[in-house]
Amino acid sequence: MIERRSFRSMGTTVELLVEAGDAESQLDACEAEFERLEQVMSRFRPDSELSQLNRDGWIDASADLAGVVELAIAARERTGGAFDPTVHHALEAAGYDRTFTELPDDTADDAVPAACGGRVVVDGRRIEIEDGFGIDLGGIGKGFAAERVAERLALAGPCLVDAGGDIAVRGIPEGGAWTIAVDDELTLGIVAGGVATSGRDRRVWRRAGKARHHLIDPVTGRPSETDLVRVTVVATDAIEAEVLAKSLFLAGSATASAADVPAVLVTEDGRRLTTGGLGS
Amino acid sequence: MTDHVGRLYALVAGVVVFLVAWAVVAAHPWSPRPAQDPRLVALAARQHRLQRESVLVKRLVDRRWTSYRRALAARNAAAAKITARNSALAAMATAAPVQPTVRVVNLPPLVVTRTS
Repeated sequence: MIERRSFRSMGTTVELLVEAGDAESQLDACEAEFERLEQVMSRFRPDSELSQLNRDGWIDASADLAGVVELAIAARERTGGAFDPTVHHALEAAGYDRTFTELPDDTADDAVPAACGGRVVVDGRRIEIEDGFGIDLGGIGKGFAAERVAERLALAGPCLVDAGGDIAVRGIPEGGAWTIAVDDELTLGIVAGGVATSGRDRRVWRRAGKARHHLIDPVTGRPSETDLVRVTVVATDAIEAEVLAKSLFLAGSATASAADVPAVLVTEDGRRLTTGGLGS
Repeated sequence: MTDHVGRLYALVAGVVVFLVAWAVVAAHPWSPRPAQDPRLVALAARQHRLQRESVLVKRLVDRRWTSYRRALAARNAAAAKITARNSALAAMATAAPVQPTVRVVNLPPLVVTRTS
């Protein structure tokens, strides 16, 4: 029997599924772990470690923050800069300067885009950022948290952790696979790895009458103008899936559809493309 | 003899004074100066204005050309970055490690994925 727990964390709804007789204490611990990780990685909490790093330009961080920043910088190298954690100032310039629920529907001002691609040095636990840049861990932070919590919840039994679109699984449930709906017509079954969805179909606001979304293209410092609306990727874990989903989203349908990774792409003209063997 | 020479000098001096006076009177210095041709005046003013405008236009064109070249350089740099990025992504996808086990199923979903 699958036990479920839903709660708000990291600006989204987190869902924990575990196949176990009684996993209440594990679920409680996992919920607390989400809260702890949010206190480390939130850019909206002034007393979080990440906020301190963005304010001071350096920090002697916890192992979690140092680890996730290191993963993000490695992902930037791997993706040729498509995935970039130093989009913090560009996000704020685009108007995403407070939690999504606090954002006004529209304002008259439209700020100049901020530069991305700042230098970040992680030396053990010490993190330093180049002046004029800040770090946002919105996507990869949720992937990281999903993986961490899945590791913990797996002690109780086969489990799935869904951190608002960043999904990690451990073990195989009775049904043979974790079934995840991508849309009304397409459901994926996975037995290992992670799933992540990036898109501009949610978290949209307006500035000076123009629609803005949270997926910043580091080349322009503005919300991406890709022809894709949403990308769902299945990868070896939720972190890798998040990195790939964001990168393929920015690359656009031509490049993304040629990539040999299991992905579902939704274009702005409503087409659904599948890659990496999902279509066959 | 001396009186002769003196008279001759006086005569010459008188003739010179007379001629100078004649020239001065003939020049009518008391009459108003003739007015310049108004067409020439207008032409000169127009030339001056055009010169001034051409300097302004040149400055404007230089400014626009500079900003165009800057924008072009920025666009070329962005295009190069995007090309490099897409190559990196293609290489990353090709060299993707172990493919996760995933398939399309016809079963009720346990969860619905959504944009994070």
